[in-house]
Amino acid sequence: MNEQTLTRIWGMRLTFALIVCLVLFFHLLPLETTPQRWVGPDLILAFAFAWSVRRPEYVPAPALAGLFLLADLLLFRPPGLWAMLALLASENLKSRARGLRDGTFANEWLTACILMVFVALAYRVLLMVTLVDLPPYGLSVFELIATMLSYPLVVAVTHGLLGVRKAAPGELDT
Amino acid sequence: MAKDKSNANDFTGPLRRLLLSVLIFCLIGFFLVWRIDSPRVERFRAHVTDTFVPNLNWAMAPVTGTINLLKDFESYQRLAQQNRELRSELRQMQAWKEAALQLEQENARLLDLNNVRLDPRLTYITGVVLADSGSPFRQSVLINVGARDGLVDGWATMDGIGLVGRISGVADNTARVILLTDASSRIPAIVQPSGQRMIVAGDNSAAPVIDFLENSDQVRPGHRVISSGDGGVFPAGLLIGQVAADPSGKLRVILAADYQRLEFLRVLRHHGTTPVTDTAEIIGPQLPSPEVLQ
Repeated sequence: MNEQTLTRIWGMRLTFALIVCLVLFFHLLPLETTPQRWVGPDLILAFAFAWSVRRPEYVPAPALAGLFLLADLLLFRPPGLWAMLALLASENLKSRARGLRDGTFANEWLTACILMVFVALAYRVLLMVTLVDLPPYGLSVFELIATMLSYPLVVAVTHGLLGVRKAAPGELDT
Repeated sequence: MAKDKSNANDFTGPLRRLLLSVLIFCLIGFFLVWRIDSPRVERFRAHVTDTFVPNLNWAMAPVTGTINLLKDFESYQRLAQQNRELRSELRQMQAWKEAALQLEQENARLLDLNNVRLDPRLTYITGVVLADSGSPFRQSVLINVGARDGLVDGWATMDGIGLVGRISGVADNTARVILLTDASSRIPAIVQPSGQRMIVAGDNSAAPVIDFLENSDQVRPGHRVISSGDGGVFPAGLLIGQVAADPSGKLRVILAADYQRLEFLRVLRHHGTTPVTDTAEIIGPQLPSPEVLQ
């Protein structure tokens, strides 16, 4: 691995951290202090999935775990649980990345959606088991659907704007 | 070129899996510690927020300002209509102002007659709202005063008019205010004309539910709800809002504080109500004790 690819990898890792911080920043802006009826998508999860499929080496597991945990802490969720599930799902995507690389986008989207449902369901079940107050059901479903629908958009930004593309065959071997 | 990929995978696979299981283990352990020993982890959370959010303030303030400006710009379209509404409101307000002035004079006279000293310990600190909870599932805001300014968990927070919430989680420079609308907020209150005691319970909607009401027949929409100070954590006599009935007939509280724009919040210093420690005794002539009689 030569110098240039190494700087590029670290640069992209930093970019990912910056994206997460930016999303958190906009979440935290005190714009709406009244309770809302609708929710935006969970962009952090969508970005983590999109990057995990494309370039697993840009989003190493420790970085993902740290960023998810930071999001948990700042967004006032039970710390650790969502981070753990999202990390598991991302790692699962990474292990399938080679297969998804050659498949169509529809295939990738479907896989991502199934994992998102898994994360949301497991989160609710584990909260129920540990007797933590559950978030409102309607809002959770709304967030899940919004995240699923936003996934193509996130992929477009990842692919087009940030230039994170699936590795071409043979590119990894050097 | 044609290296065997599975071979490389075999080499790093176990190491990666080990790292992953360690990470998963740490995260789930963190969650369990939070579940078992919540205050310690919440303190840690407050600390993380404290180091993270104030550093973003230089960017947050202008962005929030710009977005609010754009929001206001939309409302310029309804300017003429708003102007008319404001004029009629102003006329009503002038009548109220007269009434208020007269009442103020009367109040001052009565206070003077009774030689009343208002509680000098009831002071407040004003803080600026730095950030909201960041997720629609929780209703809280972060303010820029904290342990450095002597804040303590449980103190009441108001905007100019009504109760907004309760301090929960104090870090050095910041403190979190759980709003009355949050699903975990419970405030003991009293309904004004009938004196019924009850709990104002947040449920993640704009108007919290009235809970544990003794006799709902005596409570009508429009009655004033103020905090009762039961439990001794919260000061008594703060305005919360007005009773209202939702379409299903459930009683709710329309909050007096303006939740649309929470910008400056007042934190009331509260040093606890004096607890009654001795049991009830009859006030009357001193009787000789039973031992003396025998």
